[in-house]
Amino acid sequence: MATLAKLSDDGDALYVKLLQVAQSSPDGLRKVFFQADIQALASESAKTLQDLMPLVQELTNHCLLRLSKLDRALCWSARPRDAAKAITLLNPDEKMIYSYVEDAHQKGIWLRELKKRTGVNPNVVQKTMPKLEGAHLVKSIKNIRAPAQKTYMLYHLVPSDDVTGGSFFDAGDLDESLIEELSNLIIFHVRMQSWADTKPKRVKREASPPVLIDDHNDSNGNAKKRKRGATADIEDAPRKYRPTGYDDHAVEIITQLSFPAYTRTYPSAEAIHAFITTTDAIRASKAAQLTVPEIQGVIDVLVWDDKLEKVGDGYRTVRGVSFKPPGYPDDEGEEEGDARFGNGLTQAPCGKCPVFDLCGEGGPVNAGSCVYWAKWLEGGG
Amino acid sequence: MAQSLVELTSLLAASHAGDLSAQIFAYLAKHGRLTLPSLAAHADVPARRARTALSSLVETGLVQYTAAEGTAPAFYTASWAAAYNIARHSNVVRLVTERHGIQAGGVVKNILSLGYARVGELAEAYGLEPGSKRDSGVESGNTVVGIKGTVNGATHHKVSGSQHVNSEAELHVILVTLLQSGILVKIGRRTFVPVSDLQDQVEEAVISDQFPDRKVTGPKKQAAFSIAVRQLKRKWQVEDAFSETHDLNSKGTIKRPGQHFTAPNKRVKLNGAVTNGNHATEDDSSVKLSSELTVRVDFTRCTIGLRSLRLQNTAKRLLGPITSAVYGALLHSVEAKIRILHTEVNELQDEDDDPDDFLPVAHIREIAEYLDPDIELAEALGSEEDKGKHVQNGPSTAKRKGQVNGHQEGEDHPGEELGRIANGFSSYRDSAKRFEHIEAHLRLLEEHSKTFCKYTRPGKTPKGWRVPFAALSKSLLDEELDATVAARYGKVPLRLARLLRDRGKLEEKAVAAIAMMRIKDVRSVMGEMQHQGLVDVQEVPKEGQRQPSKNLYLWYFDTQRVQALVLQQTYKAMARTLQRVQVEKEDYRAIIEKAERSDIRGQESEKLEQSERVQLRKWREIEERLLTQVARLDDVVSVLRDFSGTDITMGN
Repeated sequence: MATLAKLSDDGDALYVKLLQVAQSSPDGLRKVFFQADIQALASESAKTLQDLMPLVQELTNHCLLRLSKLDRALCWSARPRDAAKAITLLNPDEKMIYSYVEDAHQKGIWLRELKKRTGVNPNVVQKTMPKLEGAHLVKSIKNIRAPAQKTYMLYHLVPSDDVTGGSFFDAGDLDESLIEELSNLIIFHVRMQSWADTKPKRVKREASPPVLIDDHNDSNGNAKKRKRGATADIEDAPRKYRPTGYDDHAVEIITQLSFPAYTRTYPSAEAIHAFITTTDAIRASKAAQLTVPEIQGVIDVLVWDDKLEKVGDGYRTVRGVSFKPPGYPDDEGEEEGDARFGNGLTQAPCGKCPVFDLCGEGGPVNAGSCVYWAKWLEGGG
Repeated sequence: MAQSLVELTSLLAASHAGDLSAQIFAYLAKHGRLTLPSLAAHADVPARRARTALSSLVETGLVQYTAAEGTAPAFYTASWAAAYNIARHSNVVRLVTERHGIQAGGVVKNILSLGYARVGELAEAYGLEPGSKRDSGVESGNTVVGIKGTVNGATHHKVSGSQHVNSEAELHVILVTLLQSGILVKIGRRTFVPVSDLQDQVEEAVISDQFPDRKVTGPKKQAAFSIAVRQLKRKWQVEDAFSETHDLNSKGTIKRPGQHFTAPNKRVKLNGAVTNGNHATEDDSSVKLSSELTVRVDFTRCTIGLRSLRLQNTAKRLLGPITSAVYGALLHSVEAKIRILHTEVNELQDEDDDPDDFLPVAHIREIAEYLDPDIELAEALGSEEDKGKHVQNGPSTAKRKGQVNGHQEGEDHPGEELGRIANGFSSYRDSAKRFEHIEAHLRLLEEHSKTFCKYTRPGKTPKGWRVPFAALSKSLLDEELDATVAARYGKVPLRLARLLRDRGKLEEKAVAAIAMMRIKDVRSVMGEMQHQGLVDVQEVPKEGQRQPSKNLYLWYFDTQRVQALVLQQTYKAMARTLQRVQVEKEDYRAIIEKAERSDIRGQESEKLEQSERVQLRKWREIEERLLTQVARLDDVVSVLRDFSGTDITMGN
């Protein structure tokens, strides 16, 4: 490989200018320059085509400019200086491979695709990639669409959301804890604006002067007892068989009062997004990355999970939903399902019977031989 | 007909009408309509016994018959609906007890077990001699003990006195109330004819009357025909319906219709006058039904009532008890006006009108009448309203002011609470305020994403509140399916099922992205759900070869299919529960038989040993639990099958 002559001062000046323009443009290094653009940018000494040609050629030779075609017109784009330096040291195959990766830009390119398109011997490609990676020219990324495929892109680029899957993916893997914390934060935020909270009516029933109660748990405990005592109707009384943790739930229901209809604007997806991105509960870099559609996605999931409900254009929490303090164990029994759910069918042994399809009179399983009924009748549930 | 329903209805028939009848019923259920001779021959039962069984089945309504004209033999058909309704008896009694009091519940229970009843017979069965107490002036004392507890349905069930009906007049009041509310209906000649045959008869009558050439082809004629059929049907319905002018011996006193008879089922509105007897007392001497009048329970009407209860419960869960009480009052007053049933509303939809316009309207004043005056409406609303105009409910609103921006102040204002004035209808100002509060609650219900009710759209009359039943029935159905999915399989399948229902058919990757889950997890959950029949997958080839690896696989949730599936499972579970009652009974046979001996009955506490009493109590508990479970399963069935009014399993 022939060593290149040192870059001329004029060439260098032109390159610096192009680089500056490219970096300040929204396209970044993708910014392409047509001949006229370069002419406009070139210094006084190189306004004519005759003067400009050698300069551009020189830069291209130094790999500082990349030649491509757009709408049949030639155009150029700038490359980072250190990358250019590394490229000059590559052999033709490697250069070709590099240019394909470069073309793929933010989307990245599959290894297989690379082998097919370049026409270079697959083994060579296989060997080349680590070399390019070592030179910090390309990097391997994980494409969320095809996690098994090896995908490459230029070292200095940030993968697009299409490739990473958006804010909720961390190195190609779904960031479940982020989603969970975010959900919790949204519930917390929306909950605060959804219902008027009242203390259970302790004043009314007790002759003693009321005490200021700060301890949340304490007031809950008292309210629970009183509520139980006050139920006159069996419908209002708490059911006998409930997973633990339901009682606190019931108290929450009692203490939430609705605001008059049509007088409030419940937080919309935009408002929630604004809240999320301005609190410091989420890492600033992550928060900046979150988009409204992404937040809307989380909200949709919360609606399906019966945590939020839509009111007009905004959302409020479903009555009885409370947010979970960070680090608090998830005590809602996942296997039992939510206690508010369940019906006559699922609470009967048959509703959850694993051999329900086999059950029949005279069959291997029947109402007489059923072991689940015996357990259920004993109160095992 | 699904096997599980045959099994269930046969079991129900057995429990209700005895073994022989059940055998006949099961045979009819399996083999369709039959004449008596062929039934006797096939079922291997002597014709005489078959006849006895059939007559008792017809009486209870489990079997219906069509007798063609002339000497043609009558055909007998098992009535699914009637047989299934046996399972609903306890829920109907619960509904009536809640709405009209414990005695009305008792009367309905008796009528249910008889199938239908003549008023005279009912009075005899209650041991009431006609006129014995009516003119003696004693009845006011009696009735005070009697109906007192009825008024506040859900909240006050501490009924003093017996649940027994004490005078004939009282019985008549109850019956009239029930007839007015539509829970009881008059029996006519056409009651025992299967609906499909009735339809044939109507069509035949219309054709012979109005279409002499017997041709109803062509769009114009068809439309005219269907309108005529509907009109005749309506006419027959009206003929068969209870009417105050024909069926009531009013003894010469002139009354405006509905003036008195609706009174007992409304809540007492006087200031704290609940204990001062019921309105009926003043009227009951003039209310008398013909003792030849025959009544039965109308299950369609009861289902509407049960649906209201169900909706009210949903509102309670989502918006709190007080708002739901207001909703209950709205439902109650709207329900009283439902004359058009679902099917006919559907028929009206092909015209350009909004189907909602055909829904009955309730004015706020009517709603207030059905509402328990003791309920503090204002307390259940957060602040932001009533600036300065609150008097009685000051403390609660003031207390909440600070929480608008999300911060609990934790402050109570005890002193003001003591100054509360009792709420009531004592003055115009109070009632105006009350209307205002009711309206606030109704608007809350309207605002909710389920749209529990709707105010008349501007420019339409009459003004008032409507309940969009069709959409709400749908949402109750969805909720029931959700509940089943959640309780059986957990939260994640629930999330996915709802996602698919909202978004339609989706590919695995899209599901994972929208549900914010890993594809791997989604795949395993989906596989499990597909195995259970909850979701299904559609294969869409991308190219001509239809290579499985290149196909698209779209997941979807078919509500109708899942609905049918869960319904069948519920039937089966009900059948198993009923069978289990028999199984358990076997274990306690000795003690049950002993307790039923004529010398012990009624004096169990003296004549039975301690251990036997324990055993007996245990058995009763078990039976109670199992039968309650049947009633709860029936709740599921009513949501899945009946509330929408578009029945998916029972043809008639």
